[in-house]
Amino acid sequence: MSGERSAVGGGASTSRSAGTDRFGWLLDPKLVSVAAASLAVVVVAGLVQVSFGAYSMTIGEAWRAVLDPAVLLDPRWLLNFLVGEELMRAITGFRGELPELSHSTLIVWDIRLPRVLVGVIVGTNLGVSGAIFQAVTRNELASPFILGVSSGAGLTILLTLVVFGSLSAFLPLIAALGGSVAFLIVYAIAWKNGTSPVRLVLAGVIVGTVFGSLQTALFFFADDIGVVQSAIQWTTGSLTGTDWAQVRLALPWTVVAVLLSIAGSRQLNLLLLGEQTAKSLGMSIERVRFALSGVAVLAAAASIAVAGIVSFVGLIVPHVVRNLVGSDYKRVIVGCLFVGPALMLAADVGARLGMSVLTGADAQIPVGIVTGLVGGPYFLYLMRRRQNMGEL
Amino acid sequence: MSIEHTNAADPDELSDANAPSRTTGERATGERAADATDASDLDAEGLVLDYPTAPEPVIDGASLAAEPGAVTALVGPNGSGKSTLLKGLANQLAPEDGSVLLDGRDVHSMDTKALARKLGLLSQESTSPDSITVEELVHHGRYPHRGFFERTTEEDARAVDRAIELAGCGHLRDREVGSLSGGQKQLAWIAMVLAQDTDMLLLDEPTTFLDLHHQMEVMEIIETLRDESDVTVVVVLHDIEQAARLADRMVALTDGEIRARGAPEAVVTEELLADVFRVDADVAQTENGPRVTPLRARHEKSE
Repeated sequence: MSGERSAVGGGASTSRSAGTDRFGWLLDPKLVSVAAASLAVVVVAGLVQVSFGAYSMTIGEAWRAVLDPAVLLDPRWLLNFLVGEELMRAITGFRGELPELSHSTLIVWDIRLPRVLVGVIVGTNLGVSGAIFQAVTRNELASPFILGVSSGAGLTILLTLVVFGSLSAFLPLIAALGGSVAFLIVYAIAWKNGTSPVRLVLAGVIVGTVFGSLQTALFFFADDIGVVQSAIQWTTGSLTGTDWAQVRLALPWTVVAVLLSIAGSRQLNLLLLGEQTAKSLGMSIERVRFALSGVAVLAAAASIAVAGIVSFVGLIVPHVVRNLVGSDYKRVIVGCLFVGPALMLAADVGARLGMSVLTGADAQIPVGIVTGLVGGPYFLYLMRRRQNMGEL
Repeated sequence: MSIEHTNAADPDELSDANAPSRTTGERATGERAADATDASDLDAEGLVLDYPTAPEPVIDGASLAAEPGAVTALVGPNGSGKSTLLKGLANQLAPEDGSVLLDGRDVHSMDTKALARKLGLLSQESTSPDSITVEELVHHGRYPHRGFFERTTEEDARAVDRAIELAGCGHLRDREVGSLSGGQKQLAWIAMVLAQDTDMLLLDEPTTFLDLHHQMEVMEIIETLRDESDVTVVVVLHDIEQAARLADRMVALTDGEIRARGAPEAVVTEELLADVFRVDADVAQTENGPRVTPLRARHEKSE
């Protein structure tokens, strides 16, 4: 994530000096305040996350551990975390032992920070993916999972856990693959001399219904409560137990998906003018729609692979952003890069600490449950406040 | 020349019908020859258009030549296939049979962006997000002129300014589209199509649902385009008087067939109104073009 952040920030500063309008839109006051507020939420939620746990420390200690120069100023340690020890040694040619870190730094960097980073990655992916799907289907009730992605992933997760237990090491990849395959099936069903937003959504519902039933049926064949719990964690979405391996798995795809979606924002804007206008302006609408959906599925798959199926984030984030910055998709996508992580991390704080605050029990719930609990009322609020919802 | 009755199913009659219209076209082209050199020329031959859901073709073998640098108006009753024909001309519908040539090139085999640089289409119903500004909307008209990663150029900015000025919506420039009246919206959409900077413009009922003032605004824009920019215009109009006043040539359709074509005075006749629009009407020639006073609807089958 830090890479994109700095790229975005860099763009803004060059435009200020050059005075051109290439990145001028990034300085839109609304967008800047949305980004700043979201960053604040990310920092606070992140600090809360890294300071709680079996080895408890104060916020100040956590802060110092995160900013420990022994890690931040040592590329070997940074690479060690980001790409893994082997690659780090290959890149730097370093053979010896890494310098020792303090206990709290090690705990924060090795165990707690990755969960925050995975949250950021998942929030980013879901926000961007939802924004794209809402433009492609021209329906603001669309989510990353509208075109069968979640049901395909859910079914393959269950199949893997219940039937092909030996493959469970590859579960993240299988889940992402299942989601993508389901998306292709949806597209094939919707295709008849081309597609349309309505046909795509209907095909998504059809595939979702069938796959959902199969998924539920598979629960009956699970003979072990552990398997069932694991399946529920995957199908509701959870950040528990994520570490650097998940960051390494999802980060490259996230960067690709984010860059492609920013590049595609002009096409998304044109899609919002309706199929006819887009076509008469020379857009190859089917090709663009499929390519953009592909980017959105890639982003959704990356988040499924590391956190399972987290509901509502992809639905709400583009909504919030659109309400705040307007409908220009360049701004919407950039806004989602900030609001997505903020919502995800805030929800994860709830998932991590909610139970202990409410009941005193030291238990964590899947973050997907919290996002659902937050998402429902937010939609109720929107429904009450606005006259017409649905079409974009 | 008076009305030509075309039966597209019969090839002999079709060619008969085409011959006189060609001559008219050539005569008029000759008159404009001096200023019509840049204007595009659109030529549809034996066009058959249908929708996957419709049992039979909506347009069954229409041939139409839009005269370069002139305004051609398509008129006809509801459901006569005017809009469908326009979509066929703009390559929005793939023809079942026949061809559409734009400056000699088949529009169906042209790259979609290349086509959009030469031919602009304003559809009947246009939707946009409410919160974009008029200027942003007009900028979308530059889409076919930009590559995937290209930024907006000086030329884009100039074209947008020109289009906004020509459409007379400079005062609306920073307004959100959602806050505009129907007439203002239409001007904004026309500005968007003008920003495409094409030599050929197809407009689908641009004046329907507008108040008189905005109807006249739209007509004036079209006249300016013809007189000053050498743009070839094909426009579907609901109001036959308006069409007669505006157009250099008129084409009357009914049931997906072209029933008459030619200069407005030749097309707008009492016989045609009875035949195509199924009304009894008085037609008087005035200095502002033919005046149509509809008297009553004809209830007997016109055939």
